Amino acid sequence: MSGRILVVEDDERIRSSMRLALEGEGYEVRDAASGEEGLDLFAEAPTDVALIDLMLPGMDGFECCRALRRSSAVPIIIVTARADTHDVVAGLEAGADDYVTKPFVAKELAARIRALLRRARPAEEEPGALTFGDLQLLPEQGVLRHLNGEEVHCTRTEFRLLCELAASPNKVLSREQLLDRVWGYDYFGDGRLVDVHIRRLRTKVEADPAVPQHILTVRGMGYKLVP
Amino acid sequence: MKLGIGARITALFGLGALVLSILMGGLSYFTTRHFLLAGRETAAQHQAFANAVLVRSELQGGNTHYVSLLASIDAGTDAHSVLYHQSKSYVSSLSVNASSIPRKLRKVVLGGNAATQTYRTAQGVAEIAVGVPVPSVHAAYFEVFDLSDLDHTLRVLGLTLFGAGAVTTLLGISLGRFASARSLRPLADVSRAAGAIAGGELDTRLDPDAADPDLEGLTISFNAMVDQLQERIEREARFNSDVSHELRSPLTTLAASLEVLERDREDLPPRSQRALQLLSDDLRRFQRMVADLLEMSRADAGSVDVFLEEVSVSELVQRSVVAGFGHMDGHGHGAPPEVRIDPVVQSWRVGVDKRRFERVMVNLMENAAHYGGGVTEIAVGPGEAEHVEVTVDDAGPGIDPQERAKVFERFYRGSASGRRGAGTGTGLGLALVAEHMHAMQGDVRVESSPGGGARFVLSLPVLSEDDDPEGAA
Repeated sequence: MSGRILVVEDDERIRSSMRLALEGEGYEVRDAASGEEGLDLFAEAPTDVALIDLMLPGMDGFECCRALRRSSAVPIIIVTARADTHDVVAGLEAGADDYVTKPFVAKELAARIRALLRRARPAEEEPGALTFGDLQLLPEQGVLRHLNGEEVHCTRTEFRLLCELAASPNKVLSREQLLDRVWGYDYFGDGRLVDVHIRRLRTKVEADPAVPQHILTVRGMGYKLVP
Repeated sequence: MKLGIGARITALFGLGALVLSILMGGLSYFTTRHFLLAGRETAAQHQAFANAVLVRSELQGGNTHYVSLLASIDAGTDAHSVLYHQSKSYVSSLSVNASSIPRKLRKVVLGGNAATQTYRTAQGVAEIAVGVPVPSVHAAYFEVFDLSDLDHTLRVLGLTLFGAGAVTTLLGISLGRFASARSLRPLADVSRAAGAIAGGELDTRLDPDAADPDLEGLTISFNAMVDQLQERIEREARFNSDVSHELRSPLTTLAASLEVLERDREDLPPRSQRALQLLSDDLRRFQRMVADLLEMSRADAGSVDVFLEEVSVSELVQRSVVAGFGHMDGHGHGAPPEVRIDPVVQSWRVGVDKRRFERVMVNLMENAAHYGGGVTEIAVGPGEAEHVEVTVDDAGPGIDPQERAKVFERFYRGSASGRRGAGTGTGLGLALVAEHMHAMQGDVRVESSPGGGARFVLSLPVLSEDDDPEGAA
């Protein structure tokens, strides 16, 4: 599998070694030493996945994520020093799809990239078009739109998450199941990925995200979609 | 027994009040007594002299009818007269006789000098006797005054003063108690603040505005001390964190580059392949150490955010053992150990950070592999007070009871761990187990297993019992 990866990392040695390792995995890599340079490179040529270190001089990783998100739905993986801080949640809220912690294993990183590049996997019950509230989900076309035809922009990961929920409406899906189906994680995946993405999704599909009507939390169990 | 400062202040106040009331009471009692007595004495002497003059003129006039003579003297109701004349004594009333006059007084007066004496009779009655010699007729005239009323007055006064003294002393004690409580209150504040700081709340300070002006110095120096302490702790934690952090970047480069080499492993000559193997094994160890140290320094800095997820405990343990077995350091040969699950806990749910829990299982399994001859059994069962317990038994020699608390200390190496073979841990493994368990509101302890080895017991609070285990599926 090939893909075009943009690496934004200020440490030159890490950048070089990541380039070597990712090229070894068959990816085409471009790298930038700062957020500003990264945004320039992103504007120049198409990118399939962006890999952004959170600790950058000048424009930091969060800012870089938000800037990318404003113009694109490209999958973003943030590289963070620590998994158990608020940084991860803040990065995800800034628009990232997934995260890896330093020091990471290139194989693991490649697996994360593959999972994000994968097309929405054909679920057992292929979700047909589904209407909930005044929204219409068209999985085949990869489109979520209002009944008046206005399209709702969401990232690829958000869309896939919505499709998984829509594939079995009214049925509770656990965090583990969602992590497995959308991100390709095993049992030990980070449940915060699901929580933050659900939160982001709600701001797009719910009239009042604080009082969700369609994407409901089932305490201790997971989430379900109620049309 | 050593008295506390509060008790000492109270005792001091009580003692002070006691001494003061004795002093004041005594002074007023004796002053009053002196004046009253002196007044009575003077009055008695005047009366006795006047009567003695009367007696002299009567005797000079040749009146020897002593009884009518004495009766004619107006002595008042509580005074009686005794007259000595020509070695005989005559009395004015039946309630006195010659022996009523104290001998010493009699001797002085009969010797020719006037005298006064205050005394108490054998019956306990206070009296004052005045003796006046009448040398011109060779007589001596005595008058005895009953002082019972004065005595009574003084007794009442004494009792009143004693009562006042007792009340004053009690007041002093309560004042002392109040004062000590009052003056010790800032110390109680200090003690509370120090306790909070010892408990990890390093931001605790004494309020300089609320402090007593006299204790401002204490407040300032206390706060300054805590500032310094906090700064030092934070600096140390920051240093540890910085060191581990700085190690991470080169480790990331090393790991990524090594993976490139491993990809081309087949193209390398056998010697280089072996070198590569050593390199990658030790790099993994190095990564673990840095990760462990970082984990520790984070726990010290109190900067760990723990995200607990509610999961089924049986699934958690089974998955953690299988996954953890794959992550074990060089000892993950063969099949992962079986997990025995008590049917009672099958549906119990706990709140954990799954990756931390997996780390805990890895560390315990590694510990068993390194020092305990391997895991013999892993079991999940009910514990006390709404807790579930996970036990990990090993086949080793067990751990001495006195060593048991220490095994969770950092860098502690027990007597069984003298050998340092390939792949022994960082000395942080069990300390991290304790750290992780505490972060998840759980705990860990060590006992002996029925087989004589060590048994590590993890306990976690149970969140709920899932009535419908299929509900989440």
